[in-house]
Amino acid sequence: MSTAHASAGRAAAADAPQAPVAPELSLDRAVLPPVIGTAVQRVDAVEKVTGRSAFAGDVRIPRMLHGAVVRSPHAHARIVSVDTTLAERLPGVHAVVTGADTARIKWGAFRPDLYPLALDRVRYVGDEVAAVAATDPETARRAAELIRVEYEVLPAVLTLDEALAEGAPLVHDDAVGNLAHEFGYDRGGADAWFERSDVIVEGVWQTTRQWHGSIETIGCTAEWSQDRVTLWVNTQTPFLARQRYATALGLPLRAVRVVQTEVGGGFGGKSGDDNTSVICAILARKSGRPVQLVNTREEEFLAGRPRIPMRYRVRLGFTSDGLVTAKDIDLIADNGAYTGKAQAVLGAATVRHDALFNYRAVRAHSRLIYTNLVPTGAFRGFGNPSADWAVGQAWDLAAARLGIEPPDLFLLNAVEAGSVSAHNHRISSCELKQCIRRAAEAIGWYEKRAAPTPNRGLAMGVSVHVSGRRSFGDYDGSSAMVRLTEDGRAAVIVGEGEIGTGARTTLAQITAAELGLAVADVTVSRPDTDLTTHALGALASRVTYVAGNAVRRAAKHACEQLLGAASRQLGRPAAELWVEDGMVHAPPAAGEDTPVHVPVGVVVRAELYRPNGQPIVGIGSFDNPSEFPDQARFGNESGAYNFVAEAAEVEVDPATGAVTVLELAAAVDCGTVLNPPLAQGQVEGAIAQGLGMAITERFDWADGAPTRPNFVDYKLPTAGVMPTLHVEFADSYEPTGPYGAKGVGEIALDPVPSIVASAVADAVGVRIHELPITAEKIYWGIHRPEPGAPGAADDPAEFPEQGNPR
Amino acid sequence: MAVPLRFRLNHEDVEIHVHDPAATLLDLLRGDLGLTGTKSGCAIGYCGACTVIVDGEAVPACLQMVGLLEGREVRTVEDLAGPGGLDPVQDAFVTCAGMQCGFCTPGHVMAVRALLDRDPDPGEEELRRTVDGNYCRCTGYVKILDSAREAVALERARAQEVR
Repeated sequence: MSTAHASAGRAAAADAPQAPVAPELSLDRAVLPPVIGTAVQRVDAVEKVTGRSAFAGDVRIPRMLHGAVVRSPHAHARIVSVDTTLAERLPGVHAVVTGADTARIKWGAFRPDLYPLALDRVRYVGDEVAAVAATDPETARRAAELIRVEYEVLPAVLTLDEALAEGAPLVHDDAVGNLAHEFGYDRGGADAWFERSDVIVEGVWQTTRQWHGSIETIGCTAEWSQDRVTLWVNTQTPFLARQRYATALGLPLRAVRVVQTEVGGGFGGKSGDDNTSVICAILARKSGRPVQLVNTREEEFLAGRPRIPMRYRVRLGFTSDGLVTAKDIDLIADNGAYTGKAQAVLGAATVRHDALFNYRAVRAHSRLIYTNLVPTGAFRGFGNPSADWAVGQAWDLAAARLGIEPPDLFLLNAVEAGSVSAHNHRISSCELKQCIRRAAEAIGWYEKRAAPTPNRGLAMGVSVHVSGRRSFGDYDGSSAMVRLTEDGRAAVIVGEGEIGTGARTTLAQITAAELGLAVADVTVSRPDTDLTTHALGALASRVTYVAGNAVRRAAKHACEQLLGAASRQLGRPAAELWVEDGMVHAPPAAGEDTPVHVPVGVVVRAELYRPNGQPIVGIGSFDNPSEFPDQARFGNESGAYNFVAEAAEVEVDPATGAVTVLELAAAVDCGTVLNPPLAQGQVEGAIAQGLGMAITERFDWADGAPTRPNFVDYKLPTAGVMPTLHVEFADSYEPTGPYGAKGVGEIALDPVPSIVASAVADAVGVRIHELPITAEKIYWGIHRPEPGAPGAADDPAEFPEQGNPR
Repeated sequence: MAVPLRFRLNHEDVEIHVHDPAATLLDLLRGDLGLTGTKSGCAIGYCGACTVIVDGEAVPACLQMVGLLEGREVRTVEDLAGPGGLDPVQDAFVTCAGMQCGFCTPGHVMAVRALLDRDPDPGEEELRRTVDGNYCRCTGYVKILDSAREAVALERARAQEVR
């Protein structure tokens, strides 16, 4: 257990004891409390190593049934009939539900287009048609197999090109041209700046579906009590999920309670855009018993919400001395059959990259296209890795054309503190240039350049990310309560939750720092929509920054009340008191020579146990100082931006095309690092996921679905494929962050596919145009480099018709 | 028809009747026996989340048919920590922050435990090969490898204390 302590209260005591709401600057960076920036042990570590953490599938309720789902085997079909007779007769079956048992309401985060269970049409392989609840999972699965569904197969669109073709079948009748969403802008006059450019580079680059691959699949347990349902869900976003589930169930918001279980990895995949919890609730209502429904791995692949495949045509202009002039992108994104958050991802994938360099003009046209494939959605990076890959490739081409080393080209054009992008991204703290220099140094860039090794290549990439993003209405805030207990602890009540990143530990550190308590004496709640504060949850790298500020203010407020109570109890002015090591301290009173020490719990108890006694409960809130972007995505989406520079060295075997990433250096600007091992873990894990996206993660496809949707075919990176990592944090301080901190959850994933591709190009002269960067593509790039072959040529050739999904 | 089955589970004799000898140890543990520390990640023996120790060997419980357990010795993660505290392997994962979401953690802990039972002083290669057998989607494996190395050191220190 940690014994880290902090002192608090000296400065706060002078303030009036009320909840602070006005923006404030953090403490001077030179006087960070000792519990901040130290390797405090995770508050949940022992639970996790002993297997006692209760994940979604570990919930046990008496009389609980288990669910199973019947899914469409067709990419597009009309449902002619559903016969549930045999399933209903199977002993142990308590409920069978179809679309007829639902409220027949379409739902979705931005564009409602998804029914809880299909009514008359299925639109992808995996679409939910019926479900069963039975006494055990095996019986439920057997019953599901007994449901007879008659389909009339319809023509399907299985690629972007098929979906965009003249007269293509429509995935949704109301989406003309299969267009789900579209926007564009021209800020600064791109054509004029291209005309004034000396060097123009152009190309087409495409990403593919990447699955979150959380080792825990999506799961829910539902139980009704009269007309209310409680859902124990492994969701990243309990309050946002509740809103959507209530809509999908046709219920008022008050009829749905969501409680977060332990979450076995999120990465965007558990942010409440899929039907599992909704179906679970419907099964529980019909059976009159609690029901648990947990995705199989196959279902997670067939009906999860993987990363959106994006096809970018990128054009960049530069002056001959390397200053970037204009950027033009035409982006087509494969939405899949339903929309979820893809619309918002498209926005980030279009604009975010423009906050990285000092572009004179930026133009974009972005379209989200329906296909009869698995719906897509939020995935760590939220469009950024796709933009970084495509635009990063163009930057790498430009560096070669200009004869400038990539780190030097980035340094020439990188944003700084005070920069404002064409979309009004207002950069407060920014150590991007420091990151570029440190990543170059960490990998030994110039030494390696001076003594090149055959078949080895070197590359660098940079990225920018948000710390929270205004997406779900004009609010990206958080609020918290800190209750001091009569046994001397602090109970933090906050609805943000924990998905594995260590958020509850950093929030406990912040509370401990403000209250002068040990981290071990702080507990942080799990989200419960009935009990905790409202919170948007774990998305957009927001919890440390947004919730950290809210919790800090709540803890300050509690501290002020504590010192006020101690002041009355001791008869001493509050300004003389402070809290440290779990005690309220005062210097010797006039005429005395011993200082006063009173345990926090004694003060709290004395404040309570008296006539009209009062509890000590601090409240605090913080709203991201950002703007809600307009329809054309103009607006400062976040109050703080985090940055990264990453460099990689790879080796390619020219005989096979096999690529090995030897070394990868990441220099991250996330402001103050609150807990180094936790921050390192975010960076290391993000790099691993980026390597999966870059190299290993893909499926073979047939008839609109992966042929074998399991972990044997879909290769997550293992320990064996990890390169030597150098992870560094920039000396940085964000004035609006808690103790100077910014977000760190996603940033390190973003540049990885781009730097691997650029390093391969540097090693063997083959530039890949579609992820993942497989040995096969590299081999054909080396051995058969005619136009159209996979991986052929640096020319902006038309996008080759290859890869997946076919 | 239910078949009687006797085996050792976490140092206790278990006598049950199984209806389906082809059912998996994973379903038995998580179902009737209520031991949910062993996790299900893929159900095809690939991800390692359900790793348990059967007769000293790390095996995926999702591939272990219960009908073949007669007379055998099974250890799950629930057996590691005792009144004296955590197992050295668990201690190492805590110390080195060798987890994030924690879902794969019991499997990783059991895999390293089985390795150390077989070879208390494994080399770096052996450690890497062991960790390479289990998926983790959160950590990038850096701190899991650190934990495995630390486990070797803690195990050695504890062995010396006993002496």
